[in-house]
Amino acid sequence: MISKKTAAILTAIGLLLLPNAAAAHGVELSYETVQGIEITARYDSGEPMAGGQVTVYAPDNPADPWLTGTCDDAGKFFFTPDPEQPGWWEVQVRLAGHGDLIRIETGAGGGPAADGTGFTTLQKLVMVLAVAWGLAGTALFFSRRKS
Amino acid sequence: MHIPDGIIPVQAALGGYVAAGGAAWLTLVKIRRKYKNPREAIPRASLLTAVFFAASLVHIPLPPTSVHLVLSGLVGVILGWFAFPAILVGLFFQAVMFQHGGLTTLGVNACLIGLPALLSGALFQLRRYFGRNRAVPNALLAFGGGFLAVAVGAFSAALLLTYTIPAHLDAAAERAAIIALSLAHLPVALLEGVFTALVVLFLLRVKPELLELEA
Repeated sequence: MISKKTAAILTAIGLLLLPNAAAAHGVELSYETVQGIEITARYDSGEPMAGGQVTVYAPDNPADPWLTGTCDDAGKFFFTPDPEQPGWWEVQVRLAGHGDLIRIETGAGGGPAADGTGFTTLQKLVMVLAVAWGLAGTALFFSRRKS
Repeated sequence: MHIPDGIIPVQAALGGYVAAGGAAWLTLVKIRRKYKNPREAIPRASLLTAVFFAASLVHIPLPPTSVHLVLSGLVGVILGWFAFPAILVGLFFQAVMFQHGGLTTLGVNACLIGLPALLSGALFQLRRYFGRNRAVPNALLAFGGGFLAVAVGAFSAALLLTYTIPAHLDAAAERAAIIALSLAHLPVALLEGVFTALVVLFLLRVKPELLELEA
């Protein structure tokens, strides 16, 4: 049988050991794997858009920014979309009036899918030649000799 | 200088369309009055449009930003009133092919690039007071035209962007970036001035009639 004195001491120790958030010096780390999105912003010349200002819009509110931030020196920006809000997230990156908007779908489709467009140099060259030929054709048409 | 979609407020984009529409109408009226046969000037306008269209893909690495050739001054100097419609068409193709600029901002961009080009054209026509065939005045006026078109365009774009920074952005950082980008256009303006002067000198020597507005 524990004496009353012993019980009182044990209770006191127990009370002291109670976790006390304000005074605690222990650190508790926990983790959770989340799916994030990394944006890479580059000029079409290939240079990273360092310092570009990023604005993220949630699917349910395309008018007010959900998150704002800045690209790092490599033009990268990482954020974790709210898993409660599946749908099309819009991310805008701008710097000095240069900028673009990308729409990213999260949720139902499984992994995030992007709809960005990028052309290779060869594709660009062919496109330039196509338009240039169209304009040259116009020039030739109007400069033909009158019959 | 090409403002993409979604950067400026809708009101500015709409205002740009109204202004560009007015300017296009005005230049077409001028063309009808000035040219006996406007069709004869179309080949030249068409080829210059092709040059203008392709020029924006030539990048000049000027850290910390990236700038590209505009050549609006050259278009203005050689085409005169035709410069505005030519630039409008060139900008349209740049927007749909390379997302360079945007369809909603086509009007604003046409004003920012096309109106300074008209100014350059008017400046170059002062050559009639200095001797049409003398090399030095022609070269100087062409340099001024090439320089002014880029400088005025970049300055107006900077003004427009500075006054339309959205509230949620870090305004100080954005303003600093705009100023840096405008300053980066200064070497481009000089370069285009020199380039325009060289083209004009070349044409003056081999085919001076190409510099006459009324073909």
